[in-house]
Amino acid sequence: MSNVIVNRVAEFLKRFPPFSFLGKEELICVAQSVEIQYLEKGEILFRQGEAARPHFFILKEGIIHLVENSQNGEEIREVCDEGDVFGVLALLGKRPYLLTSKVIENSLIYAIPVNVFEKILEENSRVALFFAAGFAAGQVVVRQDLSQGQKARSEFKNASGDHSLLIFSDQSEVNISEKVLRCSPATSIQSAAKQMADGQVSSIVVCDEKGFPLGILTDKDLRSRVIALGISPENPVSTAMTCPVITRKKQDGFSDLYLTMIRHRLHHLVLTEDGTEQSPVCGIISDHDIFLSMGNSPAVLIHGLMNTLEIREMRIIRDRAEQMLQYYLENEVSMEFVASVMTEINDVIIRQALQISKKQLKPEYPEMVNTRFCFLSMGSEGREEQLLRTDMDNAILYEDLPNELRGKATEYFQKLGEGVVEVLLACGFDPCPGKIMASNPEWVKPLSDWKNYFSDWILHPSPEALMKVSIFFDYRAVSGRKALAEELTQHIYGEIGKKQVFLNFLAQNALKNPPPLGFFKDFVVEKSGENRDQFDIKSRAMLPLTDLARLLVLSHQVVGINNTFRRFEKLCELEPANAELFSQAGKAYEILMRMRALEGLQNRNSGRYINPKSLGKLQRQLLKNAFTPISELQEIVNIRFQLDYFRR
Amino acid sequence: MSWWEFWKVKQERLEFVRDFVAKNSLPIPGIRSFEQLHFTVLDTETSGLDPARDSILSFGAVKISAMKIQIPTSVEWYPMTENSGGKTAPIHGLVHIPDQISSEEFLKMLLSYLSNSILVGHHLGFDLEIIEKKLKPFGIEKFPNPVLDTLNLAIRLEHGPHADRSRINLEMYSLDALCMRYGIETDDRHTAAGDAFLTAQLFLKLLSKCKNKGISNFKDLMKNY
Repeated sequence: MSNVIVNRVAEFLKRFPPFSFLGKEELICVAQSVEIQYLEKGEILFRQGEAARPHFFILKEGIIHLVENSQNGEEIREVCDEGDVFGVLALLGKRPYLLTSKVIENSLIYAIPVNVFEKILEENSRVALFFAAGFAAGQVVVRQDLSQGQKARSEFKNASGDHSLLIFSDQSEVNISEKVLRCSPATSIQSAAKQMADGQVSSIVVCDEKGFPLGILTDKDLRSRVIALGISPENPVSTAMTCPVITRKKQDGFSDLYLTMIRHRLHHLVLTEDGTEQSPVCGIISDHDIFLSMGNSPAVLIHGLMNTLEIREMRIIRDRAEQMLQYYLENEVSMEFVASVMTEINDVIIRQALQISKKQLKPEYPEMVNTRFCFLSMGSEGREEQLLRTDMDNAILYEDLPNELRGKATEYFQKLGEGVVEVLLACGFDPCPGKIMASNPEWVKPLSDWKNYFSDWILHPSPEALMKVSIFFDYRAVSGRKALAEELTQHIYGEIGKKQVFLNFLAQNALKNPPPLGFFKDFVVEKSGENRDQFDIKSRAMLPLTDLARLLVLSHQVVGINNTFRRFEKLCELEPANAELFSQAGKAYEILMRMRALEGLQNRNSGRYINPKSLGKLQRQLLKNAFTPISELQEIVNIRFQLDYFRR
Repeated sequence: MSWWEFWKVKQERLEFVRDFVAKNSLPIPGIRSFEQLHFTVLDTETSGLDPARDSILSFGAVKISAMKIQIPTSVEWYPMTENSGGKTAPIHGLVHIPDQISSEEFLKMLLSYLSNSILVGHHLGFDLEIIEKKLKPFGIEKFPNPVLDTLNLAIRLEHGPHADRSRINLEMYSLDALCMRYGIETDDRHTAAGDAFLTAQLFLKLLSKCKNKGISNFKDLMKNY
């Protein structure tokens, strides 16, 4: 069905190749899917190195330069005006952009979805030929993209230098330098610096006579602890080094080592024989080596995030993180590593968002700046397992205040929460349909109110309360005073201790979801609605496992482990008799997470609904196997909490 | 049919109104940025200029979200009217009207389409008034959505927030005049959807101008002087 608006768009497109080759129906189909945006002089549509968008562009009015940033500065490669098609790399190669598009005169830009055009490219031989011929000969009409295209090809050839996330598929290539520059603590700063300069390295490890590491001296230490303070370079290195050093052993495996560096923001990680500082130094990894080989490494992304308060910039980095995520998932990088990295990235975004809104509110509420508070993430982000930007669940907890400050605090934290949520929305996170967000006054409360909430849920476990419990119990302090969150946790355990029967209610709730396989050992699919005949991987398979893990961990009074597969790991320790089953369950959860995230990335949605028919045979089997621990666990819980008896 | 069933039908009939009102009960945070806002740009063609007597011949609209005109959301509807084919119809070229829909069907589609978006239009008050007349029997006197008139926005941006209206030549702010000034190609055929599309392009440019003047969130955009 076409209308006047679609027809107008079509009339414009028809004037320019390759759209002029389209039949009437094809043209309407393309026109119907266009998005129109307006950019002003000086703005940038896409940047060199950014992931290809799902659109390519045709300029309606204005002038855009395609420029290349090289060592010689910016060079203009092409000038586009009305009717020029650009950004076609998204269509042809799905590779990162090779040029930056800069708006020179205010421009109206039509964006055409690649997936709509791909079909046409397949079916309409003239259009295909147009692109193909252009590709080969460097013709004029879409000259700008062809130059990009040819470049893309040459780039592909030496693509080994592409995104060396490949480092993870072949860990033997990790460059751990075994020749470590070292000196004794009595060495003068100056001679240590000379050793570094001669060796062209950015660090030196200070060791005692047994070769055990005492500290490390880096370029940064020389800058901030020697020169900036005006300390004499004749002093011994022990006065300027960073100590104690964080150490690991080489056998820890690359992802562990790298994660340590990310978590502690280390530029150099010292390796010793047994991983403690009480053994000799045997190697060092510097982030510089890693940076050089990686385009989209977690450290680069986090570093980028920490250095910007520009929301647009943050969004771009988070989008890049998704590219990295896909790479990790497809290459079977361990889920623990993937989840930790993505959590760290999400956390940094939240912290930056807090900083942004705190700064905005400071002039208006100077008296609130020092109030202690804590930003809580809940649900999947609280469990450190949010890979995609599915709905956010968060809240704010602040200290109890004297009466006269209360009104002001309510106002301040309400605005703070609202500010953070807006930034997160702008960074591409979805809002929580249940409104469990820090912008909702109900979930921005002082500590005593939070205690009352939990006491109430535990004392009156209505179905609604139990649903809240399943979201709120997985809270995690992302920023602010963690002590407040810990106090709340203590309170919760106290309350559960007083009312053990609460766990039985929780257990009943955990069994609410039927096992995912039907009577004939086939998937239980949705019976109605828009997801009919699809399998709801979240509520049928993942939710039961999260619920069961939470319940069992709570029953052991374990605090501080939020992650579902780490909870199962912990349960293995606590109940050796069931260790086998728990470890199966943990693995199953990892498989489900990976599948859901890949499905979501592929379809650009939450990945929650999977069409079993679209899965390959192998995938189907893998998925089915992942279900087996669920029903066994449910059986155990049923017996342990005497639910058959309880239901009566 | 028993009375019970009769009542039930009415319940179902009104569900779409209830949904619409519920969706609009949540206020939009003032600090929300343009990129996160959802606008519906709309226009109508009517049988005349008297909201009390005349009715809607056609309705056209398109949405703007993420600061982009979303062509896939464009619609053009022709509701059935009591006096369609009246005097003004031929002027607008609506002699043969395709695919007419019943008045109730139109309202159903309209409310679910508008949802809780911000309503935008040129000289929008008139269009809304005439739609509200149709909605009155369903219990909606006035649209609960935020409303933004491109006419007022353009005046505000060009003359400042405290402009004295009596000194402004309103002819300079007709849709045609504004399109000319902002470099938007017009079309001599006036249709609801066509004008909605022009208004959407104008609005996109006005929003961009807003940003340059430091107006960048919902609260500032809606500020009434």
